[in-house]
Amino acid sequence: MAERKGLSPLQLDALREVGNIGSGNAAVALSTMVDKKVLLSVPRASLVPLVKVSDLVGGAETPVVGIYLHISGDASGSMLLLLAETSATELAHLMVAGSDAGDLTTVEQSALQETGSILAGSYLNALSQMTGILLRPSVPGFAMDMAGAIVDFILVEISQSDDYVLVIETEFDILEHVIRGHLILFPDLGSLDLILGRLGVSD
Amino acid sequence: MAPTVLIVDDALFMRMMIRDILSKDGFEVVGEAENGVEAVERFKEMRPDLVTMDIVMPEMDGIEAVKQIMKIDPDAKILMCSAMGQQPLVVEALEAGAKDFIIKPFQPSKVIEAVEKALKE
Repeated sequence: MAERKGLSPLQLDALREVGNIGSGNAAVALSTMVDKKVLLSVPRASLVPLVKVSDLVGGAETPVVGIYLHISGDASGSMLLLLAETSATELAHLMVAGSDAGDLTTVEQSALQETGSILAGSYLNALSQMTGILLRPSVPGFAMDMAGAIVDFILVEISQSDDYVLVIETEFDILEHVIRGHLILFPDLGSLDLILGRLGVSD
Repeated sequence: MAPTVLIVDDALFMRMMIRDILSKDGFEVVGEAENGVEAVERFKEMRPDLVTMDIVMPEMDGIEAVKQIMKIDPDAKILMCSAMGQQPLVVEALEAGAKDFIIKPFQPSKVIEAVEKALKE
């Protein structure tokens, strides 16, 4: 990948639209799964210095549950669903009938993992439809850790040669519950030219 | 006799959900598998009337498992249940021999509808 000095305002706008459509589809999926209204923030799209990525999700020290997967196919990248630990617990209880407070059970963990998988799937379905690019997600991974540790773990693979990473991030809220999370797409910079081309905003 | 079903999904939660939906509607869930390799083995042993098949799974993905099952029994009835609804993948699964494709998340009624339709084919 050639050095990328930056993205034009038009390109960033197009990438925000990717976030908008992807997370819109994911929100519909989430809403169906929990049978509640889901609100979305305006997506952010920016090139972020690696060390600053965890600031986007409330700081490196925040205890979170992360469900992450890699994307292969015509374009590559990673996708991450991050939930503050309290939100993850509440979401798990909402999905698994009869569960109560305490540590996550195997079934609850599986429910959260499947949520990540389905949200990423819906997001990528929309993105694929928009661009004609086939995007294959991997089996999702699951981690409970500080946000910084999870973000670092994911970024290690995609950012070996870059100091910056492209982040397309949306925040969602499940109404009537204190459940808030972040859905983040990290397209590999090497796939960016293809994506921008398909969006009609090449350099 | 109730139609027999094999559920294939790597997520325990999703297997439980599908089992619940099908059992309530009178289907007999005779087995579960959590990857494509297991799915093919279970299919050989059990010869279920229908298989529900996820796509993204470890070891062997669902589309490859469909291909292998169709080699064992060209009349096998397989229903894809995946969050990946991208057109090329749907086409690939149907070409491999799957009868239908439902996209997660799904309403229980959609699952029953698709299962009954696949069994009739």
